[in-house]
Amino acid sequence: MGLEQINTLMEVFTAEDPMPFEHPEGDPWKDFREVMRIEWKMDFTYKHVLGKYSKFFIELANKKFVTTECPGCGKVWGIPRPLCSDCLTITKWKELPGTGTLIGYSVSHFVPAFMKVEKPYVLSVVKLDGADTLFTHQLRNYGDSTDDIKVGMPVKVAFTDEKVDHPLLLMHFEPA
Amino acid sequence: MEILNKERRVFVLGGGISKFAAERVDGNMRDWMNEAVLEALEDSGTQIADIEHSTTSYFSDHFDKQLKAGAIFHDNIGMCPKPNVRVEGGGGTGGLAIRNAYAYIKSGLCDSMIVFGGENMGRQVPSDVAQQFIALASDTDWEVQVAGFYIAYYAMMMTAHMDKYGTKEEQFATVSVKNHRNAMYNPKAHYPMDITVEDVMKSKMLSYPYKLLDNCLLSDGAACIVFSTAEWAEKNAKSWGSKPTVELTGTGCGTDFMRMADRPFPDPGIIHFRGKQSGAQQAYEMAGVKNPREDFDCFEVHDAYSGVELVTYEDLGFCKPGESGKLAEKGVFDLGGDLPTNTSGGLIGFGHPVGATGVGQGVEVLRQLRQEAHPKRQVELNAKRGGMDSHGGTGTFCAINIFERRD
Ligand SMILES: [Zn+2]
Repeated sequence: MGLEQINTLMEVFTAEDPMPFEHPEGDPWKDFREVMRIEWKMDFTYKHVLGKYSKFFIELANKKFVTTECPGCGKVWGIPRPLCSDCLTITKWKELPGTGTLIGYSVSHFVPAFMKVEKPYVLSVVKLDGADTLFTHQLRNYGDSTDDIKVGMPVKVAFTDEKVDHPLLLMHFEPA
Repeated sequence: MEILNKERRVFVLGGGISKFAAERVDGNMRDWMNEAVLEALEDSGTQIADIEHSTTSYFSDHFDKQLKAGAIFHDNIGMCPKPNVRVEGGGGTGGLAIRNAYAYIKSGLCDSMIVFGGENMGRQVPSDVAQQFIALASDTDWEVQVAGFYIAYYAMMMTAHMDKYGTKEEQFATVSVKNHRNAMYNPKAHYPMDITVEDVMKSKMLSYPYKLLDNCLLSDGAACIVFSTAEWAEKNAKSWGSKPTVELTGTGCGTDFMRMADRPFPDPGIIHFRGKQSGAQQAYEMAGVKNPREDFDCFEVHDAYSGVELVTYEDLGFCKPGESGKLAEKGVFDLGGDLPTNTSGGLIGFGHPVGATGVGQGVEVLRQLRQEAHPKRQVELNAKRGGMDSHGGTGTFCAINIFERRD
């Protein structure tokens, strides 16, 4: 009996004073340096609602890229939003041709493992023809070398036939 | 802003830092907050019993797996039943908390406020999980799902800056060299290092154009500042009159769309921090700053990545758009230069325990204006004014605050 009664116990250890330079007269916390560490597991799954922009994802499954146009001020948002944040008018759905221009990109040789993607991973921001603001997504099929990727190059929306874990992954960008 | 009562002024009485480090296994967030508070009370010569209000500054509920942690920090230091409020704006949380102290004291809601900020930056979970928690600070329906994460976002901003202005990787590498070097004279810093531009360039490529040494680090730690009116300080603070008097003279806040993609294109597009431009304008106007490069003796800026520091110079008006790289190379922002930035080491050298970061910037500026910094990082006082800039997301929340020495 004793510490072994604690199912989640990882360790008990003596911590060092992290600021000894502040304590020339001795560690004021010396009676509090014994530390216990336990394991605490949490695991959740959410039933997530994609809200009023769900139609965007439904249309991706139909291989269409739709976004929203504001009937009030005429702005076409690259990423759809049900309420135009420029003039607070309720927007209308609009299909775009899916062609555009590369505005910015990054080439990741490190990607957190929770993202199931191949490396190097190219994240890009694209100005789609017919939209006033940008859209962020992966750039694929850019050729043999990431050196070929240039700001200003023409790109297009492409769709996959593979199974995906999130509806946004039904699409990506490719050089046009 | 005309309604602000000019007779009622807000002073910075004292500050404290609990060491920034990779993993503080000697305690948890509560313990670090206590340490920072004790130091700030001693530095200001105040008693907690006299302080009327507190503000809590921390960002993530996930890392500490504790909702309304502010209640715990507040009761740990004997502040109950006095009022407390939590401020949150991602990486800008600490800067917003200082602004909150200004608003509460200026309005007369209280005459004194203690601001404590800290973060447990998740070394307790695997780094992959920590990255996931941080990614949740971007749009979870539109950005996280396309493997968007912070290094990749900032790298996109920087490639666009490089394309537009010709900014070079070697130029932003100098920021990392400077900030790691400044941290060598800050014993509470997480990552002091004597490195060269070549070391930065040769470090592991994480997300082009950013290499490992261009990044700030996840740190544990806490920071605290005590603010009050002059009348309150005269009555309650032993430091009043014995230490140089420092006043909070300007505060500004700006924002931008959560998703970079939604920002007005092409200006600011994905290149500039519009929230910093407007926030700085407000703060400068309040403090009477006309030419920031001359009107400040030091400035702590939010160097989440080395290139971010360069873009920030431009958006805070230290130089014209596109000029920052060349000026950084010339040493304009080094200790001894025109305007030393991140004398503490910044996020890259001092560390980035999110809720503590902006508050820690305030402690650094206070130390500089009182000429209490380590002699090797102490700046020369001319304007007797120091600034700080803190932001969350990719510039979604920006807070700019200004301290001035009055004697
Ligand atoms: Zn509109």
